[in-house]
Amino acid sequence: MNIRGTIKITPQAVVRDGQTLPTTKHGDALLTECYRNSHADYPKYFKMDGLCRLGFVASELLLMAQAEERFQPRDDRAVVLASCHGCLETDQRYETTIDDNDNYFPSPAVFVYTLPNIVTGEIAIRNKYLGESSMYLFEETTSEEERLQLLQILTFEDPMTTSALIGWLNYLDGEHYLAKLYLITNE
Amino acid sequence: MGKRVAKVIAHHALTPLADGSLENYRLVKEGRSAVQHHDAQEWNVGEDFMAGLIATPFASPRATNLALHSIRCALEQLSEPLPTSDTMLIISTTKGNIELINHARADVRLGAMAEQIAHELGLTRQPVVVSNACTSGVCAQVVAQRLLTAGVCRYAIVCGVEAQSRFIVSGFQSFHALSPEPCRPFSKNRIGLNVGEAAATIIYAATPAEDIQPNDWVLRAGAIRNDANHISGPSRTGEGSYRALKAVMTGAKADELAFISLHGTATPYNDEMESIAVDRAGLIDVPIGSLKGYYGHTMGAAGVLETILSMAAVDDHTVLATLGYDDELGVSHPVKVASTNRSTDKRAFLKLISGFGGSNAAIRMQKGGVQ
Amino acid sequence: MEELIEQLKKQIIEVLNLEDVTPADIENDAPLFGEGLGLDSIDALELIVMMEKEYGIKLKNPAEGKEIFKSINVMAQYVNEHRTK
Repeated sequence: MNIRGTIKITPQAVVRDGQTLPTTKHGDALLTECYRNSHADYPKYFKMDGLCRLGFVASELLLMAQAEERFQPRDDRAVVLASCHGCLETDQRYETTIDDNDNYFPSPAVFVYTLPNIVTGEIAIRNKYLGESSMYLFEETTSEEERLQLLQILTFEDPMTTSALIGWLNYLDGEHYLAKLYLITNE
Repeated sequence: MGKRVAKVIAHHALTPLADGSLENYRLVKEGRSAVQHHDAQEWNVGEDFMAGLIATPFASPRATNLALHSIRCALEQLSEPLPTSDTMLIISTTKGNIELINHARADVRLGAMAEQIAHELGLTRQPVVVSNACTSGVCAQVVAQRLLTAGVCRYAIVCGVEAQSRFIVSGFQSFHALSPEPCRPFSKNRIGLNVGEAAATIIYAATPAEDIQPNDWVLRAGAIRNDANHISGPSRTGEGSYRALKAVMTGAKADELAFISLHGTATPYNDEMESIAVDRAGLIDVPIGSLKGYYGHTMGAAGVLETILSMAAVDDHTVLATLGYDDELGVSHPVKVASTNRSTDKRAFLKLISGFGGSNAAIRMQKGGVQ
Repeated sequence: MEELIEQLKKQIIEVLNLEDVTPADIENDAPLFGEGLGLDSIDALELIVMMEKEYGIKLKNPAEGKEIFKSINVMAQYVNEHRTK
């Protein structure tokens, strides 16, 4: 396996390929600052839930730094992510739209994000990736290396896949989140 | 040891119809349906709906206990216990124990649910939860196959489980996706889906290819593909489903297939998309069917439950009828769907599934070794 | 009517999270869907919820939404005639 790029985003800082990127904000505002700085011009960003924003910004910053053509349909790149809390924050938010009997208005725009794999779909749509997309959920009882190694094995068992955006994406709330993504190839 | 393949060594299905794979198959073959009318007030949702719900009480956390029941029934079929350190548990679910969201947030974490199940079963490896929306049950089997052929473990327990809740029903109602009547897959007047609940388990063992016997079921190929189109609507060109079908048919011929068990949710867009994908993949002459009329859409359990029933159908030389299909084809490509059971002498089938997030997945199951 | 039109624009921007759009950017006669605002099927469903929540208008069939959400003018007209709150 060959690591072509890495990114780590915490509520305090963004580190790409070992370099801390200049940012001024923190928490949710940091993600939106990164979105603005990326000049992605992708208004759908503002419709996404926290988990998707985190995944979108992380993948965007990681891929921007790659010397490769983007946005061409391709099926050789997989998006394989793992999480502990999945979309629990959005589950809670959706629940508030149905909790009160006198104010019962289930929101389709929130409900659609109550699936942890939507973030893999958002990244696939953005980048026109027609290959595999998968989301796995784990408790943090094993080491990060073990989990990453398992993702890698699962990913490259598909002969179509020659590179993948893989890693860990966890979003508890606007002040507590972590993205650690890798662009890897099977060379 | 030569190439290892993923062989089915036990399976079990718990549904509103029956507790056991073969009993479920027998009732489905008779045309029985689990789908019933449910009252909006009783469920505290916007409108009445149709669903297949398990009447037997299961203690909370319900999804955990449904899964445990099904897995234990599957394990009991084995002549000896599985080696706990060489067995991986793979759970497929979309919402797990979501009804506890306001009470016990930790139980709602899908990874925590899987760890509890593994713990109860005495399994020591960390379990994997596959959460690819409604495709999870097929994806989980793909994961099992990969773990076994890559040599990560020797046994994989795949359990798909879904418990219905106000959370899920209200959400699907906000999408106007539920039919107030029994669903009618592939029919002209289909208007939406019914939801359902089930727990279904398949245990796979890594087996040398040369040891496969004529009556063994083997997962020969699996693929997961994204539409890269929209997070809730299926691709208008059936992109991901077509690509998944094409991938699993590599090295196989269409005339080897008894049928393709499609997703067939009976929403206008899903069934149309699948007809396009089947035609594009060169499989338009293969009989197809949907099992949603019998159980409703059992979401995280669907891929596993429908694989079990499909294996039983091939064992019985049968292509199951699509319950609810009213003999008026309502999709643009002429898929071979039927409202009655037909016979077959073929020994393989495909299971296709798709879901939110642009996710699609397919597996090819085959009985016996490859000549 | 002018007031209702302004209110609808603000509500649409808010419920659909159109972050960089101002009420002045939405033309009264321009199609809401298709080009322009880049709205999709989920947005249409969310507008159906908005109609019920804000104006007490219950649309049973999403297909009705297609006609009603043609433009701000059409929407305002419909709300004016059918609102129950």
